[in-house]
Amino acid sequence: MAAKIVTFNLNGREIDVLVKPLTTMQTLLREQLEYFATKSGCRQGGCGSCTILVDGEPMASCLLPVEDVAGKEVTTLEGITPDLGLHPIQEAFFDNYAMQCGYCTPGIIMVSKALLDRNPHPNRREIVEALAGNVCRCTGYEPIIRAVQDAAARMNGQQGGA
Amino acid sequence: MSITNYFQPQSLDEALIFLDEHKDALLVMGGGTVTMPLINEGVSAPEKVMGLKNAGLNYIHQQNGRVVIGATTTLSQVLVEAPLPMLGEAARNTAAWTIRNMATVGGNFFVPPPAGDFATALLALDAELKLVRQGQERFVPVSEFFTGFMANVLQPGELLAEIHVPIPQGQTAFIKFGRKVANTPAVVTVAAHVQFDGALVQAARIAMNAVGPHPVRARKAEEILLGSPLSDEAINTAASTAAEECEPFTDAVASEWYRRKMVKVYVSRVLKNIAGKEG
Repeated sequence: MAAKIVTFNLNGREIDVLVKPLTTMQTLLREQLEYFATKSGCRQGGCGSCTILVDGEPMASCLLPVEDVAGKEVTTLEGITPDLGLHPIQEAFFDNYAMQCGYCTPGIIMVSKALLDRNPHPNRREIVEALAGNVCRCTGYEPIIRAVQDAAARMNGQQGGA
Repeated sequence: MSITNYFQPQSLDEALIFLDEHKDALLVMGGGTVTMPLINEGVSAPEKVMGLKNAGLNYIHQQNGRVVIGATTTLSQVLVEAPLPMLGEAARNTAAWTIRNMATVGGNFFVPPPAGDFATALLALDAELKLVRQGQERFVPVSEFFTGFMANVLQPGELLAEIHVPIPQGQTAFIKFGRKVANTPAVVTVAAHVQFDGALVQAARIAMNAVGPHPVRARKAEEILLGSPLSDEAINTAASTAAEECEPFTDAVASEWYRRKMVKVYVSRVLKNIAGKEG
């Protein structure tokens, strides 16, 4: 079968893409659309670095055929980053030194966004559970947990706790 | 890669038509969390794939004393709806959020150990699988579904459509022991259902995973428990028996030797948990 046209909403904009059968969202984003925030780590669903939101739910884009998001709303890190400055979660990660090499950061921020959208006041256990699928080999995770707590405070309109 | 077709049937009937037409040439995919990694790696190179996400098999409801779960219900849905405590616990202990949003209950019957923790809970609950083909359906207990490593009774043209779980009449417990607290393959997973007549054990089902070619029952250990109180002594004997009768394997997660030791520990813990609930 020839390539197929798939229509979906990417970061607030309707787009049509032409893909071969079973092309993954990760491949589409990185190789066709040049959206490089979504990383290509293990390609097994095991590292979390390719996480995107589909209708607000975090999913591993390396395991997700483009055809499956037809008609859905897809959000990548590019989509939550304002034209000027940073999203409060990004600011909190920056201020809390929650990244070193940065490869895992886009996936972790997307999961954090999904968590904070559902639960504006997550406790430590809830943050750890939400991020259990995201591997970081640099930070030891503690700065990431602090950053998510700080992001929650910023998004709830309180003073940042960095 | 030479995938020529990705079919996305919009109903079970449509899925069965595709399957009847293409039979074994068609790779059936649920949430894709097992199939897609193999395709990404080039280990699997199917020509035709059928994805079931839109086939309308995404539901949980109760019917005649049973919980009916559509085959493509995601583990996240189970975690939210938690139709039975053990199913919520099993979902929570399987993979991570991103994967639970994709992985399906039906798909868990087609993964190699040490994966398959959710199916292990369904084995302990004595669930039945509704297998359908065009114009036909049959029910197979989970205990008779597996025939070997990655092998089962599914016939060409047949599809797993629903999982029917009888509402437990006794006490249940589920423990997954992994190397980490979350998102980890099992060293061993144990799920059990024990039904009492007064203080005596009337029926017992102990299901284990990562200690055989597929989720297995500890039949000899179950027999030991029948007709006696669930005492520490009975639990110890049953746990030792389960450790003897299982067939663990060595992989990157744990050795055969260690898994066998842990079977004894975790069968014991699961049964003590049940004894605590009963007493």
